[in-house]
Amino acid sequence: MNKPTNDTPETDSEWVGQYVLGTLNDEERVAFEARLAQSDELQKAVNQWQEHFLSITDRLVPLTAPQPLSARIERSVDALESATQTKAPASTKLGLFWQNLALWRGLSTACFVVAVFFAVQLQTVQPTMSDPTYIAVLVAPENKTPGWVIQTSQARQMQLVPLAAIEIPAGKALQFWTKAEGWDAPVSLGLVKKGETLNIALDKLPPLTDNQLFELTLEQEGGSPTGKPTGPIQSIGRGTIML
Amino acid sequence: MPSVTTFDYENALVCCAGGNRRALMQLYEQEAPRLLAVVMRILQNRPLAEDIVHDAFIKIWQNADRYHKGLGSARGWIYTVARNLALNALKYSQRQVLAEPDFLLDLCDKQVLDNEHPDDEFASDVFTQASLDVCLDHLENERKLCVLHAYVDGYTQDEIAKLLGKPLGTVKSWIKRSLAALKECLQ
Repeated sequence: MNKPTNDTPETDSEWVGQYVLGTLNDEERVAFEARLAQSDELQKAVNQWQEHFLSITDRLVPLTAPQPLSARIERSVDALESATQTKAPASTKLGLFWQNLALWRGLSTACFVVAVFFAVQLQTVQPTMSDPTYIAVLVAPENKTPGWVIQTSQARQMQLVPLAAIEIPAGKALQFWTKAEGWDAPVSLGLVKKGETLNIALDKLPPLTDNQLFELTLEQEGGSPTGKPTGPIQSIGRGTIML
Repeated sequence: MPSVTTFDYENALVCCAGGNRRALMQLYEQEAPRLLAVVMRILQNRPLAEDIVHDAFIKIWQNADRYHKGLGSARGWIYTVARNLALNALKYSQRQVLAEPDFLLDLCDKQVLDNEHPDDEFASDVFTQASLDVCLDHLENERKLCVLHAYVDGYTQDEIAKLLGKPLGTVKSWIKRSLAALKECLQ
């Protein structure tokens, strides 16, 4: 972990300038974005700086975007709209939960704090392990108790590690899901066995993205029959890239 | 396409927030070529740059309701979305780090600009568009290049330090002081 040094911005004006310029390190950027989400004043300052700097990049020669790109955008918007339309009647509660912005803001701030904590722990407690490059903490939706940590390393494996003993009711299974921005629906990453770390080969997945959603739902034994999450969410969180 | 100064970006975002698909496609027509140029400059990979422009428009569509007039420049908001996606994508993508000082300095050289675009929006809109050039002009070339490499090329301070053969601490403090100077000059 980087300790704050003389390079860490001090005033809001410095933070805003470095954020727009793109010179904050990952940690600083995540921390600043958490503040940004809460402050219209800071967002306004960011947009203002961006507008100033745009006068430079506006002089780059514009590139003709290929026709299929606009069609692709339209298709993605179609998919988003049909996803919200079909999701709403089938599982209103789940739909509302996923769409609750305040919850996500709170969760991502909480996740960041916990993620940094564990990143420090992992690096100090197990110095032989390769540094995690991607991390997420899954918390219980009702009380935000951390229940699971997701981490990846150079080994091209993602691990889902339980933080405490997990009780899975008889005849039920815990199913692990992920959904990145722009995906139509969550994708199953497999079933969790009691007390075991779940290992997933990353080759089977598109590259993990910042803010990607992970969740564990309680499904019938053998997993969700529909291939989509149907049961209640046990634990949920978003990932952060740690480079 | 309408010029940057006449298109109503704010209204485009408000309409997107209201679910108006045509507003999104109009914004696309208006801004995609410039967005693609900005993202391509950072990523130096055409297919990836097109992916990022796609993702940017989807994110704009999904998050437009977070924008309101109180947040100031709608065009700034749009580019913040796109640039963040591009800078993020750099983590998965290799690209060359090149110096190209003349290209960068010409981008913000007021004289080159006035000669090339004597009548257009860049030269005429002295109050907002040209003021950053004027302020950048007060910086020494080496410091100006640090700022331009970071903003235009998306280089990290590490990459800039290696490129210019300067200690990282020097580059960091140049950037910090340059931003402070620009800020003061722009006010």
